[in-house]
Amino acid sequence: MSLATEHAAYTIALIGNPNTGKSTLFGALSGVRQRTGNYPGVTVERKLGELTHAGRRITLVDLPGTYSLSARSPDEMIAVDVLLGRRPDVPPPDVVLCVVSADSLERHLYLVSQVLELGRPVVVALTMTDLAQGRGMEIDPEQLSRRLGVPVVEVQARRGLGLERLKDALVTAANQPPPSPPTLFPEVFQAEVEELRGWIEAATTGDRNGASGETRTGPARFPRYLAERLILDVGGSLERGIAISGGARQTLTERLAAARNRLADAGCPIPAIEAANRYQWAAKVLEGVVSGRGEPASSWGDRIDAILTHKIWGTILLALILTVMFNAVFAWAQIPMDAIESAFDALSGALVAALPEGALRSLLVDGVLAGCSAILVFLPQIFILFFFLTCLEESGYLARAAYLMDRWMIHVGLSGRSFIPLLSSFACAIPGIMATRVIENRNDRLTTILIAPLMSCSARLPVYTLMIAAFIPPRTYLGGWLNLQGLTLLAMYLLGILVAAAMALLLKRTRLRGSRPGFLMELPVYRWPPLRVVVHRMFDRGWDFVQNAGTIIFAVSIVMWGLLYYPRLGPEELAPLVAEKQRLEQALMQEADDPSTPAEELAASLELVSNRIEGLQKRQSFLGRMGRWIEPAVRPLGWDWRIGSAVIAAFPAREIVVSTIGVIFDVGSDVEEGEGQSRLTEALQAARWPDTGRPLFGVPVALSIMVFFALCAQCASTLAVIGRETESVAWPVFTFVYMTTLAYLAALVTYQAASWLAA
Amino acid sequence: LIPLSRLRAGQSGRVGQVRGKLDVVHRLQEMGLFDGAAVEMVRPGSPCIIKLHGQRLGFRMDDLAHVMIHLGSAAS
Repeated sequence: MSLATEHAAYTIALIGNPNTGKSTLFGALSGVRQRTGNYPGVTVERKLGELTHAGRRITLVDLPGTYSLSARSPDEMIAVDVLLGRRPDVPPPDVVLCVVSADSLERHLYLVSQVLELGRPVVVALTMTDLAQGRGMEIDPEQLSRRLGVPVVEVQARRGLGLERLKDALVTAANQPPPSPPTLFPEVFQAEVEELRGWIEAATTGDRNGASGETRTGPARFPRYLAERLILDVGGSLERGIAISGGARQTLTERLAAARNRLADAGCPIPAIEAANRYQWAAKVLEGVVSGRGEPASSWGDRIDAILTHKIWGTILLALILTVMFNAVFAWAQIPMDAIESAFDALSGALVAALPEGALRSLLVDGVLAGCSAILVFLPQIFILFFFLTCLEESGYLARAAYLMDRWMIHVGLSGRSFIPLLSSFACAIPGIMATRVIENRNDRLTTILIAPLMSCSARLPVYTLMIAAFIPPRTYLGGWLNLQGLTLLAMYLLGILVAAAMALLLKRTRLRGSRPGFLMELPVYRWPPLRVVVHRMFDRGWDFVQNAGTIIFAVSIVMWGLLYYPRLGPEELAPLVAEKQRLEQALMQEADDPSTPAEELAASLELVSNRIEGLQKRQSFLGRMGRWIEPAVRPLGWDWRIGSAVIAAFPAREIVVSTIGVIFDVGSDVEEGEGQSRLTEALQAARWPDTGRPLFGVPVALSIMVFFALCAQCASTLAVIGRETESVAWPVFTFVYMTTLAYLAALVTYQAASWLAA
Repeated sequence: LIPLSRLRAGQSGRVGQVRGKLDVVHRLQEMGLFDGAAVEMVRPGSPCIIKLHGQRLGFRMDDLAHVMIHLGSAAS
């Protein structure tokens, strides 16, 4: 890296406790779209942003929200590595921007004390001063800045206040030497740290020159902060992560134990001295900086909490909120969904009229348009779901929900911490699985990851919606507040939850046995969810869906069209049917002149022949052959080869099943028909078993399909993320096998039981 | 010195000692339950809600750690 480019661009790392408004600040500084939140664990991924200030290009790195830089959880490990410039994918930060919230300054200074020890330039952003003022607290930023020895800038990111001053401070700090680290620990501890550091440097000289020797300051020294952490973190996760040879590792373990013993004898018990000394330092820093405290937190918040966290009322309210949410997803989305569908119907009608029959028309209507419609039709539901989830999250309610759920989660061996990742999985298992990084206990985390895909994600919603709209009667109860369709939807979600609970229990009793996890979670102050953030996230998530899931759905729609369209049957195989069709068409033409023969009869038999041609064609297609091949296996579930084919097609991503069902059942149906009601819904209601002529679908089949999709693992992306997060191949394979087996068995039982009840 | 779980709603005190497995104790101390910190019980039970440094925390005792409290009024 040359000096010139080094001066042109800065890298700035953002670090802060959860609920400090760090993500909001990141969004305000960089203008980059990103998910913001106010409950622990929402920012688990590394986020980058770009901005230009005073002619400098600045790269912002948003680090996971964390209470401490102790390198014990994966999130903290990433933060420590980025801040120390030890990650190859992020340049070493020129400035560390540490975000602290005014209303709990003392606790946030704990993290600041750790950041100051890293030996990099630091700027502190002070947020939520309005909240602190509302509680009668005054904070003197200049005084705080003098005490800390680094610039402190007051910002209100939501209103855009203080951002320019913050950028100025960042650019200035980047050109200045780092502040001298505060002296936090007694002499004897410092001496042990230096001794250990020297020993590690000697032990790793050989490796160091080869791999990472070419850093900016010549031969890199082992960071003092890491040496300190090695002594303080008795759990040993950092110790295992240090790259030294086997023999040296043994010695390191022995040395650490000896150092800790010596320190304990000297009156410095490890790790207790860390918290004691850091908080002592924080209290001293804040002397005279904060005035007028003692006023209790907002009393209306207390009153709300008295109800919302109540064991009975709170739980009832939580259940009510979730019921209303899922009912709304179904009910409110109906009108825009109908509108989107009829728009696509009109479009394909126009195309059918304009183009001659053949492969091109079929590709455009049944492949391209069907694919687009399959994507766009789910946007209303995704918008509504994220509207609710974001409101709950931003208001601070989700943390209360986690608190309430803890007493239930403990029964399946998990803590309330697993609740938020699992709730996020209702939107999509991928962010949910990534959110499990905040769970420190490895077995708890693994269990949560393995059951997260059982939560009904938004990709299952299309399947449920289609089946419910077509086969569950729209009965209402309690004056329209509850309807059978909404309740069926709720039942599918509950099924996933119950199976997940059983799986968690099973896993925690067997392979992932561990002690009962503890639970400690911040309950942030209640705030009105800012409308801008809510709307922004709604569109963000919707766009995400169109981009990621949408492109897959679209591509697979085209491929599936091809698998269903080809190979075409030869003229000799179709000859008798085609001849019949032509005869009927001619008869219908003459009909216009001769009113004696009934026109309806002719038209009906013409349609019958056309559909038989299409049916023959589809049976012979590649997908049809696959479907027929597995038909014996899916017959007990009440499925025919068409449903079987759609399920095969949905192996890479379950949302594809709807567009495939659309292609399979829609081809050949008259696109001008079905005004007001969904074309696909009608096609499904009209589908018959070819041998008996009985309707193919009914409530039992619809239920068995829904149950199958509620439990199956048909999502390649989720399996990939499980592989990445567990760093193994075995866990995603296990997930796929167990979920598919469960899905098959449950669908079998559902179909058989429902048919027996219906008979 | 009494266990935190014995505090009644509205009662407050100071953390006297956190006992248990070292790294669990370390985490609790980091979150503010260090010796001498002022704690108020908001909602007893399991999990309970405590007020610590002006913030509310949902908390359930770990099998591996116990928080002991010096009873007494503790104006933060």
